[in-house]
Amino acid sequence: MSNAEHFANIMVQCFIEAVNQGVDLIPVVADSTSTSKIQPFVDAFPERLVNVGIAEQVMVSTAAGLALAGKVAATCNAAPFLISRANEQVKVDICYNNTNVKLFGLNSGASYGPLASTHHAIDDISIMRGFGNIQIFAPSCPIECKQIIDYAIRYQGPVYIRMDGKPLPVLHDAHHQFVPGEPTLLHQGKDVVICALGSVVHEAVEAANRLAEKGIAVSVVNVSSIRPLNRQALTVMLQGAPHVVTVEEHNINGGLGSIVSEVMAEKAIPASLLRLGVQDGYYAAAGSRQFTREQLSIDSASLVEVCLNLGQNEVNHA
Amino acid sequence: MNPFGLETKALESRARSIRRRIIKMNASSPAGGHTGADLSQVEIVTSLYFRILNCAPDRLDDPTRDVYIQSKGHAAGGYYCVLAEAGYFPEEWLSDYQHDGSHLPGHPVRQKTPGVELNTGALGHGLPVAVGVALAAKRDGSSRKVYVVTGDGELAEGSNWEAALVATHYKLDNLIVINDKNKLQLAGETDVIMKTDPLDEKWQAFGFKVSQCDGNNIDSVVNTLENLTYDGRPNVIIANTTKGAGVSFIAGRSEWHHRVPKGDEVTRALEELSDV
Repeated sequence: MSNAEHFANIMVQCFIEAVNQGVDLIPVVADSTSTSKIQPFVDAFPERLVNVGIAEQVMVSTAAGLALAGKVAATCNAAPFLISRANEQVKVDICYNNTNVKLFGLNSGASYGPLASTHHAIDDISIMRGFGNIQIFAPSCPIECKQIIDYAIRYQGPVYIRMDGKPLPVLHDAHHQFVPGEPTLLHQGKDVVICALGSVVHEAVEAANRLAEKGIAVSVVNVSSIRPLNRQALTVMLQGAPHVVTVEEHNINGGLGSIVSEVMAEKAIPASLLRLGVQDGYYAAAGSRQFTREQLSIDSASLVEVCLNLGQNEVNHA
Repeated sequence: MNPFGLETKALESRARSIRRRIIKMNASSPAGGHTGADLSQVEIVTSLYFRILNCAPDRLDDPTRDVYIQSKGHAAGGYYCVLAEAGYFPEEWLSDYQHDGSHLPGHPVRQKTPGVELNTGALGHGLPVAVGVALAAKRDGSSRKVYVVTGDGELAEGSNWEAALVATHYKLDNLIVINDKNKLQLAGETDVIMKTDPLDEKWQAFGFKVSQCDGNNIDSVVNTLENLTYDGRPNVIIANTTKGAGVSFIAGRSEWHHRVPKGDEVTRALEELSDV
């Protein structure tokens, strides 16, 4: 799409703006200069970037040390290697020590498509939710991405941002203001509530538009703020429809599917729940983004079919 | 500068006092303690806090002060005894070591204990984080030095060697690594479990400047620390120590890795550690 922007480019522009405004921000990469598209930052501030080589553990620990010494440290590398290789460093040096580090999980989910499961991060939200102190966000579009990063840089404490790896178009209008904790209602309808996060929100919105043409009214809730999360606000958005569907390029355990399950159970919301994403015990398929999403039934066409069948099942059961 | 600046005799006396505290504190701990590790590093940490470190309890917010990171977090008990004597928190807290709700948990927690710089306990974290602190000081043009004490068994953690590469690459000569080489670890002898020798050659190969000392001799520790030179390479001191040093029936015995003195053992240890 012509107005689509890559989140890494947005991140780098936010970094440049922050340093220009006096924030002592130091990006730390693990040979991930191309992954993070960081060159404009290096051009603007030639002495600022720290590159530790292909060594994710020390990337995270070094960032923690920089933060302890008063810097705003931001790690920028591929999400799977951040989350899995440096897991204990994230847990101990960032979360437990409560250091002022921003962890950017680049090319998250199945962004790397055919490069297969070593390069997919379909477990990052579940892992981060297991750790204390850290705030967790998954932007869905360029406007939201910029607002989340600007907030994170100025927030005092650890933050994880799940960054998609493909250019994405604007989804929110220009007046949208990201508020930490608040889910966003992008589409309103009484028949089905679809909850989504990250780039998959686009699939949900497209499905909702197509379903509207078929007479099915769908709510789409963008849960970009995973921690903090205003559970009461999410409860209100989940209420009223007979069906709730969660959609994520992530394992259905520990991510959005789990969050919505928790809220529905705690608030006794009387609706069916279908969790779409990587199913229990599986990895995401290797292939094009479209192929992978079709396999997981999280592409817009699959979501249309799923929602039509939800209604059909209800009729059949009645 | 260091607020104490103690000379050899005073440091030796201080080390004995700290050892007595370790024995008493561990004996009253409800959850055991790493007595062997606590005792092996006494001369190292005592020399740092009472002579070397440019740091004081009322200067924790000073960005130019030195930083000490206790990477072998299981020696928290010995570390706490030094911090208490150096005035970072009330000495009475030592009697609550590892009790419920204590300021002094079994591994260091900076949110609980004034003076603690880093939450450690999982091994192989202190040096990599110290690299970040040292790098920040370099970037700021600060005279700060960053000292980190690791175990020798701990050096099997690969994260240390990632950090060693970075320290050399970024010419962090404000970083001083001290290996408390007591040759024992949880399950036995380091040489048998996973040999680290020749340790000096490994550090040299990674671009460090290597010194060695008798890590349980105050003069040797202080002289080595005070004669370090800073030429763009990070320093490492291989401090040859005895695990459990200072108490005859604890020294050199791996079963004291996680054991505390009981009953008559307390009395005997305190007799050996008396000033007379």
